[in-house]
Amino acid sequence: MRKQITTLVVLTAATLAGAGCSDPVEQPAAQTGAPAITAAPTLSDQQAPPQRVVIDVTIADGKVTPVNQQMQAAVRQPIIIRVTSDTDDELHVHASPEHTFTVKPGPLQSFQFEVEVPGKVDVELHRLHRIVATITVQ
Amino acid sequence: MTATAVLAHGLGGSADLPIPFTYAVVGAAWTLTATFAVVVLAWRTARFDPDTPGRPLPRWVTAAVDAPVTRWLVGAAGLIFTAWVAVAAVTGPQDSGNALPGVFYVLLWVGLVALSLLLGPVWRVLSPVRTLARLLRITRGRGYPRRLGYWPAAAGLFAFVWLELASPDPGSLTAVKVWLLIYLLVTLTGAVVVGPRWCAHADPFEVYSMIASRCAPWRRNADGRIAIGNPFHHLLSLPVRPGTVTVLAVLLGSTAFDSFSALPAWRNLVDTHTTGGWDATALKTAGLLVFVVTVAASFSLAAAATGGVDREGRRALPGLMAHSLIPIVIGYAFAHYLTYLVEKGQQTFHALIGSPDAPVYYLLSMHPSVLASIKVGFVLLGHVAGVIAAHDRALRVLPKGHQMTGQLAMMLVMVGYTFTGLYLLFGG
Repeated sequence: MRKQITTLVVLTAATLAGAGCSDPVEQPAAQTGAPAITAAPTLSDQQAPPQRVVIDVTIADGKVTPVNQQMQAAVRQPIIIRVTSDTDDELHVHASPEHTFTVKPGPLQSFQFEVEVPGKVDVELHRLHRIVATITVQ
Repeated sequence: MTATAVLAHGLGGSADLPIPFTYAVVGAAWTLTATFAVVVLAWRTARFDPDTPGRPLPRWVTAAVDAPVTRWLVGAAGLIFTAWVAVAAVTGPQDSGNALPGVFYVLLWVGLVALSLLLGPVWRVLSPVRTLARLLRITRGRGYPRRLGYWPAAAGLFAFVWLELASPDPGSLTAVKVWLLIYLLVTLTGAVVVGPRWCAHADPFEVYSMIASRCAPWRRNADGRIAIGNPFHHLLSLPVRPGTVTVLAVLLGSTAFDSFSALPAWRNLVDTHTTGGWDATALKTAGLLVFVVTVAASFSLAAAATGGVDREGRRALPGLMAHSLIPIVIGYAFAHYLTYLVEKGQQTFHALIGSPDAPVYYLLSMHPSVLASIKVGFVLLGHVAGVIAAHDRALRVLPKGHQMTGQLAMMLVMVGYTFTGLYLLFGG
C-alpha cells in the first residue's frame, strides 16, 4: 500500500514539476486582428504611452455590436471602450476590482481603465444583459 | 439593485485565465499513463475495505470532539455566524458590496468542502437547522422514507447550481435571500416532521459535506474512536442509497457546465436565440441538465458494462462504484473554485466585518503559471485517485474472469471526464 501511495505522490509531483517547467511562449501584448479592434497609431515619441486596446461599441434599437469579442491585453495596459448609444445603460467591467461606467445616449463616449490582476475580464452592458467583450489580461 | 453583477457566479470580478495549452497536454498525457499503469500493473486482489480500522488517535481527542460542550459551542458558533450573515445581508449595502452572495457562493459552496476535506463532516455540527432542532429537543419524527434516499439532496444541490449558473441574475440579493429562506424552511420542516435524519439525507450541504469528508484522513473506527487512516478505505464507506450517483453527477456536471458556459460559442448561441431574460434561463437550464444527465448516464452505463452478472447485480453496480467519483468531483471542484475560495473569500470576509475596502491579496491570480499547475495537479490527483478506487472496487464486485474487461468502460469514461475537464479549463 505504502509503495502505491509513494508512486502516486511521485507521479503527481513529476507532473507538477513538468507542468511548471514548460512555461508558455509569452503572448505579445495587445494582439489585434478582430474587426472591431482598432489599435491607436503608435507615436514616434520614445516616451509614448503604451499601445492601447480600443473597443468600439454601438448600441442601437436595443441591439449591441459587437458581442462576445475575444481580446487580449497586458496587465496595466490602457483599455478604452468607445460607446455610441441611443439609450441609457451601464457598462460593467468585471475585473478585480470592478469598474462601472454610465452610458448615456450620444456618440463616442470614451471610458478608459487598466486591469492590474491577470484574468479573464468580461465587459458587460448591464441593462441589455449582453457581454460586449471578454478581455484576456495576462 | 442595479449595481449587482450578473456574471461570474453573481460575485463579479475577473475569472481565472485559461490554463496554457502545454499544461493541458501534459495533464492529458499523465492521465492516460496513470490510468494505463493502474489497469495493467496494479494489484490483482482487492485491498481496500471500509472495515479496516485506522490508527486510533489518543482517547482524549475523541472525548474532546464528542463532548456535549464542544458540540454546543460549535453549534452556537454556526448559529451566531448565520445570524451575523443575516444581519449583514439586511443592513449592509444593497448592491454588489453586500456580503451575502460571497457567503453563499464561496464560503458555503467551496469553503464547506475544503473544511470537510480537512476535518470531516463538519456541517453536521455547524448546521444552524441541526442546532435549532437540538434546541427544540427534536430527536425523532415519523422516520425517513427509505425510497427517497439522497434524491431531496440532489434536488437541493441542483437548485443551488441552477441559481448560480442558469437563473436570470445570480448576483441578485433577493434571489439569494429567497433561496436561503426556502432552504431553511424546507430543512427545518423536514427535521420537525421526519426527524434529524432528514438533515443527514436531504440537506444538500450536509450531503456534500459528508461526501467531501470521505477523502479526509480522519475517520471513526467501529468502536467510535477517531482515527487516522488511508482515505481509500474511507471512500468505500459512502452510503449507497437511491440518488447517490445523481448527487455526484450534479456536482461534477455543474462544475463542467460552469466552464462550458464561459465558452464564446455557447455565449453566442445563448445570445442569438434568446433575449437574455427567462428564455436564456430556459436554455441554460437545459444545458445544465444535459451535463448532469450525461455524467449520470455515462457513469451508470460504464459501471454496468461488464459480463457475468445477472440483472439485479448489474443494477447494483453503479451504486457500488459511486465512491470512485468522489475524488474526481472534489479535484475538479478545487481546480475550478480555488481562486474563488482564496480571493473572493477575502473579499467576503472584509464585507462581513464591515470594511469592504480592505486590500485583497491576489495570491493565485498574480501567479498564473503556479495557478495553472495547481489546477492541473488537482484534476490529475482526483483522476488517479478515482481510477485506483474504481480498479480496486472492480476487483471486489466483478465476477472472476470479467475483472479486467469489466473495468475498461469505467476507465475510458473517467479518462473522458478528465480530458473534458482539462479541455474546459484550457478554454476550448
